[in-house]
Amino acid sequence: MSSQKKKNFQIEAFKHRVVVDPKYADRTWKILEHAIHEIYNHNASGLSFEELYRNAYNMVLHKFGEKLYSGLVSTMTLHLKQIAASVEASQGSLFLEELNRNWAEHTKALQMIRDILMYMDRTFIPSTRKTPVHELGLNLWRDNIIRASNIQTRLKETLLETVQKERNGEVINRSLMRNIVKMLMDLGPSVYQQDFEKPFLDVSGNFYRSESQQFIECCDCGNYLKKAEKRLNEEIERVSNYLDAQSEVKITNVVEKEMIESQMTRLVHMENSGLVNMIVDDKYDDLGRIYNLFRRVPNGLMLIRDVMNSHIRERGKQLVTDPERVKDPVEFVQCLLDEKAKHDKIVNLAFNSDKTFQNALNSSFEYFINLNVRSPEFISLFVDDKLRRGLKGASEEDVEIILDKVMVLFRYLQEKDVFEKYYKQHLAKRLLSGRSVSEDAERSLILKLKTECGYQFTSKLEGMFTDMKTSHDTMQGFYEAMGRALANGPILSVQVLTTGSWPTQSIPACNLPHEILTVCERFKTYYLGTHNGRRLTWQTNMGSADIKATFSGGKKHELNVSTYQMCVLMLFNNVDQLSYKEIEQAVEIPTVELKRCLQSLACAKGKNVLRKEPMSKDVSENDSFFFNESFSSKLYKVKIGTVAAQKESEPEKQETRQRVEEDRKPQIEAAIVRIMKARRVLDHNNIVAEVTKQLQSRFLANPIVIKKRIESLIEREFLERDREDRKLYRYLA
Amino acid sequence: MAIQKDRVRFNVGGKIFETTATTLAIAGRDSYFAAMFDDNWDLQPNPAGEYFIDRNPDCFAILLDLLRTGELYVPPNVPEKLLYREALFYGLADHVRSAKWGRFDGNRLHLLKSITGRAPGDGTAIRASPEGGCCVAHGSMVHIYDWMLEEHPPINLDYQRVNDAGWVGPVDPTGLVISTCERLGRGQGGMGLFNSTTGELRYKFSVTHENVVKSYTAGALCFNDGYNLFSSCKGRSNEYGIGMWDQNTGQQVDFFYEPSGWSLGDADKLQWLNGSNCLLVATLFPRKDNCYISLLDFRSKSMVWSWSDMWSPANSDDRRVRDAIAMEENGSICVVNEFEDLGFMDLRRDSGSVRWSSRSRIMKGKMPDEPCYPKLALHEGQLFSSMNDCISVFCGSDWVLTSRLKRSFGGSICDFSIGGDRLFALHSEENVFDVWETPPPSIV
Repeated sequence: MSSQKKKNFQIEAFKHRVVVDPKYADRTWKILEHAIHEIYNHNASGLSFEELYRNAYNMVLHKFGEKLYSGLVSTMTLHLKQIAASVEASQGSLFLEELNRNWAEHTKALQMIRDILMYMDRTFIPSTRKTPVHELGLNLWRDNIIRASNIQTRLKETLLETVQKERNGEVINRSLMRNIVKMLMDLGPSVYQQDFEKPFLDVSGNFYRSESQQFIECCDCGNYLKKAEKRLNEEIERVSNYLDAQSEVKITNVVEKEMIESQMTRLVHMENSGLVNMIVDDKYDDLGRIYNLFRRVPNGLMLIRDVMNSHIRERGKQLVTDPERVKDPVEFVQCLLDEKAKHDKIVNLAFNSDKTFQNALNSSFEYFINLNVRSPEFISLFVDDKLRRGLKGASEEDVEIILDKVMVLFRYLQEKDVFEKYYKQHLAKRLLSGRSVSEDAERSLILKLKTECGYQFTSKLEGMFTDMKTSHDTMQGFYEAMGRALANGPILSVQVLTTGSWPTQSIPACNLPHEILTVCERFKTYYLGTHNGRRLTWQTNMGSADIKATFSGGKKHELNVSTYQMCVLMLFNNVDQLSYKEIEQAVEIPTVELKRCLQSLACAKGKNVLRKEPMSKDVSENDSFFFNESFSSKLYKVKIGTVAAQKESEPEKQETRQRVEEDRKPQIEAAIVRIMKARRVLDHNNIVAEVTKQLQSRFLANPIVIKKRIESLIEREFLERDREDRKLYRYLA
Repeated sequence: MAIQKDRVRFNVGGKIFETTATTLAIAGRDSYFAAMFDDNWDLQPNPAGEYFIDRNPDCFAILLDLLRTGELYVPPNVPEKLLYREALFYGLADHVRSAKWGRFDGNRLHLLKSITGRAPGDGTAIRASPEGGCCVAHGSMVHIYDWMLEEHPPINLDYQRVNDAGWVGPVDPTGLVISTCERLGRGQGGMGLFNSTTGELRYKFSVTHENVVKSYTAGALCFNDGYNLFSSCKGRSNEYGIGMWDQNTGQQVDFFYEPSGWSLGDADKLQWLNGSNCLLVATLFPRKDNCYISLLDFRSKSMVWSWSDMWSPANSDDRRVRDAIAMEENGSICVVNEFEDLGFMDLRRDSGSVRWSSRSRIMKGKMPDEPCYPKLALHEGQLFSSMNDCISVFCGSDWVLTSRLKRSFGGSICDFSIGGDRLFALHSEENVFDVWETPPPSIV
């Protein structure tokens, strides 16, 4: 109690002397100054917080705030100057540790000083708009330590050196680095940026510039990229270890610029290891790396895309124009599919399924597939091949997969109508010869075509299926109606084909054997009896027959032949030898077809049911043919193929081409009329543009052809030219 | 043992208090207690196990009670001023302030006190500070009161009449902008930013016309969220219009010149509309013969909405608009006439007419000797209107009169202001202003 009284007494004395004692402020300040010294000297345990707080409070209360504040500034500055000296004096590697230790002590001291001066901080400082104690302490530290001439450069260089050491693989004291960097950030973003970040970025830029030079001289593309990626990850890790998170973007930008952007073109085109080689060798890892790194720099992906694009185009061009490849359509298309699969895989695995890459891929394929005018035919042939035999034993899903792949190629075709033409022919052959493996697969493909190109595109194809079905029913009806009358005759199977749906040609009918002719006439009578007003024409060139033949030694075989072949063979029922002329007279088959047919009967090894004299590969008009009694085969059923070019021959091609062009005319005209009906008046260029656009899904309309069609329409008075502006057309209703 | 550790014993001015460290922790880091018990201070109690503080024990008891209960109870024998001083010492002033009065609600206000100033009547304006203090403009003087209603040294504007004053806001609690009349021949006047505690001038806001600094008279003031300051300006020649300055730098950012046939430079009232980024400018009778209300878009330099009574029929004399306030949530502008009839205008339609809501008032026809024109204020969906010696509070979507604040002396209310959860009303006959606040929420 007595001690309290004493204290009370002292305060009373203070208050009394506030006005009279001129040394009051000095004395109080001395106490506080002493305390600050003690705090810095780790001697705070002897201090009374209550007394110090009260003294500081009293100074502010009695309008000595200014003195208190300036005293604080000068005392703290004094201490910081001492600290600066000791930091400066520290030896070599101990520099950072010394700085860090002093920083920790300063922050602690600052907190204690602020505790004592809290009242000043709360009242005097805001009203005089001075810097608050904590901030003042940081500013003084910045100005007296960090920005001191002997420390600033040394600090910067030590930090940069340490980073460089780490880059060279040495182990550094990361927590020390973290503390120092944290200190710089605590002093304000501008301190961190000016005193560390900016020089750090500059030095890093120089470092990576020379390193990239060094790497590019001695590494191949793949290795270079690996190194660049490693460096990039190291920098990101460094930021997370001991730098400000906001530096990440900046430092990665430096690495990207120096290691990737500046060497970009050289890397991509590097001999033996550049992008093209990676694509050729399917180096998914390297490609993925190049994609991820180049994505970071402007125009990086564009460069990859362009190089990839021109590579694919180049390769595709070689592929579609290679005369060796063109020989086998199935292999040709298979090659395209493989090529597509290969690049799809690259885009998906390495290029992150990037949309722009997919588009580039598509445009490249579209470009080179259409370089070869026979692509539509070949694709149709490929489908034919698959649907004819290839799919045997394949599951439904496999079929779908193959068909889907083909559809992708189909999409690239500009002349889809040409494809349609061929597809129709091939489908007709498949259907009529009954060689289509699966109707489901056929229908599924047609459905795909329908979704791709619309109803119009496939209506005729679907008509073909309907005809097949109706024919089946008709035949059943026919045999039911005829009953026993036909029991001993040959079995006839007629497919009634709607004209227009099928690729029929008007071919003069050949002379059918008597037995067949009878049945045919009966069928004709039956059919026309049930269907009024129709006309039937026999397409003998498209039929087939199974005939039984007996050879020497009573060997029996069933021969599967075409209608033409059947006609020829039936002649040998009565005689053993016939000359070419005799055969030609008897059957009246067109010369080309007949020759082909005889060739297949007499010249095919192992299937020569006829013998020819003289023996030679080709059939000439002076040849004689004999029944080959010694024909033998391991199989009971023998299929005698026609020597038919799978691929179209040159004149056939011309013909198909011509037919396609003919078919296009009405379509172009229809498009013109549709557009003009809507627009009424339009100039030439716009018509051409719109027509091209409308027909895009079917074929690429030739502007010259469009012009001709317009002229034709003007002649027929659907359109007229504008009287003033000859470029304008008007629609005439 | 745990309880023992937590317990703290104080000897405050000879009186023993016991409390817990948990209770003291409520004071927060910026308080005496947090600093005192910081680990840095190796604090040892005296041999009796006490911590001595050389302060007033009565006030300590009140403040300790505040920390314990969150409630402020001041016994009649302790002067509030004394308590505030002690609270400041311990760093508990904010606690005391927030415990003293509750969140503002126009319908629950009670009169804290009326404060009499030195000069006779005729105050110009009263403005509430964000912390619950206020300033009163009076001739060429601005009197400043803090939230403890302690008067600070007044700001003397060197014989220039003060037109308006405005608090900068929470970012700069001591910043006060004062607008004054131009002083002929001296190039003075205009506006300045002052430190409300020391009265020192931080900087002046100048008007520049064609790169020449002009002297001008500043009128109504307004601030927006983007630290911009607006004021109506009347210069010598061309400088009529609304000026826009950066609060932090004092630099002029923009100037909206007054179009011919319209009034901006004389405006009585400016209001910033956050939603539409526009400034409402109202020039009212009797400063001008007609009323002009407009919304300015500074970015496009266009008047996006305007209304004036110069097109109204002449017989609408009793329907003169005396004050206007925009209510963005309702998309309308509320106006008031001299009989305190409220009228509304649609903000979404241009140049509409005023839809007056007729309320029969007893006051009609019986005007006091020294009438004051009605003024309007809006606070969180409540509309306030002053008329003669009372303030009416309107609530709800159809603005029903729900409360009336009235005090019997001092004459008519010439101005009032809401801020810092308080309402200040300035009377015209005597230099008296009333402080209204909402009591803290009850505990039970």
